[in-house]
Amino acid sequence: MEFLNPAALYGLLALPLLLIPYLIKRKPQRVVFSSLLLFTEPVKRAGGRPLGRLRLPLAFFLQLLLLTLLILALGEPVFSLRASNIAIILDNSASMQTIEGQQTRFALAQEKARELLFDLGATGKVDLYVTTPRLEKVRLAAFEPSEAAAVLAALTPHDLADTPINYQSSLSQMAKEGKYDRLFLITDHPAAGQTDTLRVITVGQPRENFAVSSFSISRASLVGSRLEANVEVANFSSKEERIRIALRGGGADISSRELSVGGGKTAQATFEGFRAYPYYEVEIDGRDALPLDNRRFAVPPAAQNLRILGISPRPQALTSLRAIPGVSLDVIAPKEYDKIDRSGYGLEIFHYTAPPALPGNPTLFVLPPDDNPLVDLEKPLSRPAVSSWREPHPLTRYVNFALFRPVFARPLRPRVSGETIIESSAGPLVFSTAQSGVRQLALGFDIFPYLGRENLPVSVFTLNLLDWFFHGSATEGRATGISLTFGPTHQGDFLLTPRGDKLTLHAGTNSFPATYWQGIYQVDRGAQRTLFAVNLKNTNESDLRQPTPIELRDISSNGAKMSALFSIWPYLLLTSLLLLVVEWFVNPRPLRTRSG
Amino acid sequence: MLPEPFTPQFLSQLETLRLRTRKEFLGSHTGNYSSPRRGTSLEFADYRRYAPGDDLRYLDWGIYARSDRLYIKLFREEVDLFAYIFVDASASMAFPSPKQKFLPASHIAAALSYVVLANHDHVKLHLLGEHSNLVASPFYRGRRRITDCIQFVTSSTPEGPLELAPALAGHLRKLRRPGKAILISDFLMSAASYQQGLNLLRAFNLDIAVIQILTRQEVDPAFSNGSLRVVDSETHAEIGFQWDAGARQDYQAKLAQHNSQIRSFCHQNGIHYSLYVTDRDLDDFIFATLPAIGLFK
Repeated sequence: MEFLNPAALYGLLALPLLLIPYLIKRKPQRVVFSSLLLFTEPVKRAGGRPLGRLRLPLAFFLQLLLLTLLILALGEPVFSLRASNIAIILDNSASMQTIEGQQTRFALAQEKARELLFDLGATGKVDLYVTTPRLEKVRLAAFEPSEAAAVLAALTPHDLADTPINYQSSLSQMAKEGKYDRLFLITDHPAAGQTDTLRVITVGQPRENFAVSSFSISRASLVGSRLEANVEVANFSSKEERIRIALRGGGADISSRELSVGGGKTAQATFEGFRAYPYYEVEIDGRDALPLDNRRFAVPPAAQNLRILGISPRPQALTSLRAIPGVSLDVIAPKEYDKIDRSGYGLEIFHYTAPPALPGNPTLFVLPPDDNPLVDLEKPLSRPAVSSWREPHPLTRYVNFALFRPVFARPLRPRVSGETIIESSAGPLVFSTAQSGVRQLALGFDIFPYLGRENLPVSVFTLNLLDWFFHGSATEGRATGISLTFGPTHQGDFLLTPRGDKLTLHAGTNSFPATYWQGIYQVDRGAQRTLFAVNLKNTNESDLRQPTPIELRDISSNGAKMSALFSIWPYLLLTSLLLLVVEWFVNPRPLRTRSG
Repeated sequence: MLPEPFTPQFLSQLETLRLRTRKEFLGSHTGNYSSPRRGTSLEFADYRRYAPGDDLRYLDWGIYARSDRLYIKLFREEVDLFAYIFVDASASMAFPSPKQKFLPASHIAAALSYVVLANHDHVKLHLLGEHSNLVASPFYRGRRRITDCIQFVTSSTPEGPLELAPALAGHLRKLRRPGKAILISDFLMSAASYQQGLNLLRAFNLDIAVIQILTRQEVDPAFSNGSLRVVDSETHAEIGFQWDAGARQDYQAKLAQHNSQIRSFCHQNGIHYSLYVTDRDLDDFIFATLPAIGLFK
């Protein structure tokens, strides 16, 4: 027998509370009577009883039985019929690497899955699924139980966040298509409700955790070579903690410091004045439940200068940027965009043009055409006045907006979520967003050509803009699961993963999507070696206090041939009602008061 | 204005009653009760030989005709009655409230007093309480004194413990004339205690009647089932026990046995006995039950 709602069984712990009214009742009622003469005999008899006043009436035992049956009925007991075709879905997201005692959650999940396979018997069939990088079968054909056990043991969790899955529809559809007798989801998320066919097995308990929530390496300024590292540490617990942060470069220790982080808060630390290394790593004390997010990786900015790729039908206007120290610029026509290697650029400026999809590099859109992927443009305005702006913000620093009057502008209507930086009365003029940790900015007016002192407000804004991109230019690393993009490869080029796997890249490949593990990815293209830092960038995975419950109510299991479970709670409920009727008659009714 | 239930109809009915005695007493005045003395009533008692100076009206001429000897007919003397009504005024008579137990007892005492007064006899009321507290009324005579009787008996408050024999002894010490004694009590005391008290009354050559007063709560206690601590209203002693249907049955059996012992003792010793449960009709008790046990003629 199993219970679909086992949490209700905790109600059994409350059963002793039933004694309380009887104990209160047992406290003797004090009454004055004319004489004790005729009461002596009952006292002697009561004293002679072994349990004294602890005698409980039949009604108590009936009520106890009644409550027990009701609680058992709430637990939704079912008799399991032997299933022959099941599906096991293993959550292999990053949070499954959380350590529970001596084992990880994923190891616990594997044990649970093995138990399910053992119950299945030798003749059953099983489909194994994993949830990351997407909810999919491990193998198209169904496994024999013994075969599945071997495959199961070889599975490992990814450093990936939970795939956004609508479990209600996905599992229902899966049960329907696979005609499974039962479908088990083994995860670290609690389940809100289950059905006959769909069962959620939860492993792990809510835990406290600390994580490096941000790590970036950047140059201190646009025209200098000094590096600085910014680290942000998050405390996913209820109390303040002192956390030690260690910075390493190329595997060697650089510096360390202690940081006090309040419960549920974040704190930042900056390291400055260290040598250049091919890559950097930051790590906090490994005293918490999830070691994965205690480390983050970053690579220094690819170039000494801010390398800008300008794509414009009017290249002359963009070349004025070369006057700014620390900036190197290549300008191409829009039709050449797909033909060049864009991996070394810290910024792509689309001037009166736009690519069909957002590029992997930080991007500035200046008055893009209507078919751009970021914003819609409103009707043109002549010399619009700025009505409001974000402050403080790196883009609006030192800008005199009283004098900031673009000759021509088109207000923006964003298509994606982001923030408006500068706004006119007709709508936003500057809109910023970040997709997969990469900054994008759209301008509703033209800041080119760069005129320096001749148009000081716009020039200050342009410098702010370049500085903002410079500091946000891919030094923070990429998120796991996001493709790495690089220049086209040739025969013999290869990629080294953080696990040490050496993958040969086919000629012409310019991306690598399988970034399932956190660490440094190295792409060797002949003499050119490029490092990519990839990190788990998802605070939901790090926050182990209250995992989001999986709602499984109202999922129909139409596809199943028949229910593998036989519910007995209605019978328990019926028995409880019958007991209630019996108890009604057995329980002593209040004595009627007789008038004297 | 007399209180309920002393309505004119009730008093009229009481006037039709007369206390019955099974003993002859020496009264002080001529009355309706026979005396051991010879007197001038119509009831023949004996003969004696004529002596010079005897009233010739009492010569039995029939005997003289048959035997030629002179005999004088002797007749009984009829005297008035002295009635003593003892009312238990201990704390147990105030359970569950004085109104439910002591007041009915007072009404019975007052009704019996009125029966005595209406026959021009003497009645004296005694309240039985603590030994040191002897409260008794003067002798009342004449029906107008019923107000005094009612005033006396209802003005007191039942309180304190009662030891029947010592309390009766205290009252009897001042008693000079034998007569009819009526004891009204709940008799919730040990057999030895009430037997000692009644024997004391018998020793004073009193014609005794006993009226036991109980309330419905005492006959069938209405306690809720469960653990109970009962406090004695007189001694304040406490006992605890589990009250349930079994305990109730035990109690009622014990009460029945107790009452049976009282009744048996009374019958053996020529004492009128009657039990009055206060939820019964008082008229019915006085005009039906008490005549049935021979208290009234």
